Amino acid sequence: MKFTVPIGPQHPALKEPISLRMTLDGEVIRDVDIRLGYNHRGLEKLAEEKTWLQNIYLTERICGICSHSHSTCYTQGVEKLMEVEPPKRGIYLRFLVAELERVHSHLLWLGVAGHEAGFDTFFMYTWRDREVVMDILEMLSGNRVHYAINTLGGVRRDIDDLQKKKILDSLDTLRRRTEYYLKIGANEPSFVARIAGVGHLSKEDAIALCAVGPTARASDVAQDVRKDDPYGMYAEVPFEVATATTCDVLGRVVVRVKELMQCYNIIEFLLKNLPDGPVTVRAPRRAKPNEVVSRYEAPRGENIHYIRSNGTDKPERLKVRAPTLANYPATVVMLKNGFIADIPLIFAAIDPCICCAERAVTLVNARSGQEKVVLMSELRRQAHERWKKAPLKKDAVWPL
Amino acid sequence: MNDTEIIEKAKALLGDKVLEVSNPALRRIFMKVDSKDLLKAVQVLKDDLGFAYVATVSGVDVGENYEIIYHFGNAFSQLNLRTQVPKTNPHVESICSVIPGAVLYERELQDMFGLVLDHVPDPRPLVLPDGWPAGNYPLCKDWKYERPPEKIPGGKS
Repeated sequence: MKFTVPIGPQHPALKEPISLRMTLDGEVIRDVDIRLGYNHRGLEKLAEEKTWLQNIYLTERICGICSHSHSTCYTQGVEKLMEVEPPKRGIYLRFLVAELERVHSHLLWLGVAGHEAGFDTFFMYTWRDREVVMDILEMLSGNRVHYAINTLGGVRRDIDDLQKKKILDSLDTLRRRTEYYLKIGANEPSFVARIAGVGHLSKEDAIALCAVGPTARASDVAQDVRKDDPYGMYAEVPFEVATATTCDVLGRVVVRVKELMQCYNIIEFLLKNLPDGPVTVRAPRRAKPNEVVSRYEAPRGENIHYIRSNGTDKPERLKVRAPTLANYPATVVMLKNGFIADIPLIFAAIDPCICCAERAVTLVNARSGQEKVVLMSELRRQAHERWKKAPLKKDAVWPL
Repeated sequence: MNDTEIIEKAKALLGDKVLEVSNPALRRIFMKVDSKDLLKAVQVLKDDLGFAYVATVSGVDVGENYEIIYHFGNAFSQLNLRTQVPKTNPHVESICSVIPGAVLYERELQDMFGLVLDHVPDPRPLVLPDGWPAGNYPLCKDWKYERPPEKIPGGKS
């Protein structure tokens, strides 16, 4: 008997409302159909009617987790169009915020992964530590979510020695905590067994379907814009691209934990080598007719903006591609031949913004057309029940 | 492999199919081909130059024509392949047979510009809502949004 399970659109397991229709054979997912567009805000059209400066704040509102990613990607593109070179201190501060944002995004995601796997202590711990980063961001920019620190030609706020010291002190705490998470992960067989082998995405598929970010890196595709196409000051910062070879949710956890450790090193490097001088220069109001492709490694993968100017103070065209869109075709492959109990976990594995609240899922009987509404919490409870009974994968190891 | 080598190799492999090529910044290559040579060019870029990753596909309304830009990336460089199709006959061949990951971007182009991507695996609308009036393509320059007149339930007429 085959079932079709519609999930969404009011089930934003991913940040945007999205509709997924799954065809099931027993408990196994055989086919997935994605329908997007429930949250399409016409932002690219709107950007053509706003000035270069106004668009910084518009692009910042594309996303609520990686808000700085979009505004930085846009700003560095427009600076190239305007032929403005921001001062070095401004660049360092801009990417200091970028790395702090990556830390908060990955910690948030780790908590969600723990929650979906039924390991709520992990969720509480990581989210408590995420507050440390949120406090730093608030101290630097004045805001917790939309930092609004970018401007054309640099950043809007400087940093003083006291703030610098406070960040370095907090970094010690965060390092210690992240090492503790590694230890928990390594010694917690039920957690490892729950996520090992779930949501398999082979290396060939990851390349063919143009997956990005930690999703691709967990499938052993060492793709990172910071290394491949260094922007800002990344060419002079020592760091390594974290990859995993397991191609599953476990790999995605490992990649993000490794990346956290790299982030702390980058932040420390930026603070210790922070140059003196101004943080911003004046930028013109107009840009000559030209075009630019701006790439940025957001916490979830490559973010790309294509900007074309026409000589006025407004863009001719702004094309935005957020990393989540690039990972949808790969998600379809991950879900196929998986279990219905793994849906929340696989969703959580590509995107950190999942299941903040109760979501309804309708189960449709394909023969009778009868529908049954279940809450996301119920689906999660069923998943936990099923996995409690499942045999422990004795050979699953934490590959760190 | 640096930008100059990539450009030389692409020119050697594609010959006079390459209409224009420029290298305005480090690791940014812009290349123009005719729309009927597009699939061949993408195949060559993927097989011989290692551009297997499509970051996105941008469309631009440039007056008489639509310009379509395919943004490729690999570990060495970033290449933008552009082509133009006339608005009177907006047909272009889908590249999904070579790079399956481009499907969502091509479907978005169909919605936003009214381009017709031939042989795209799944030609349904992607981002526009159900019941969107036909022939309205939001990112065309001559399309303006008009707010529908407000109807007050139970109000006068």
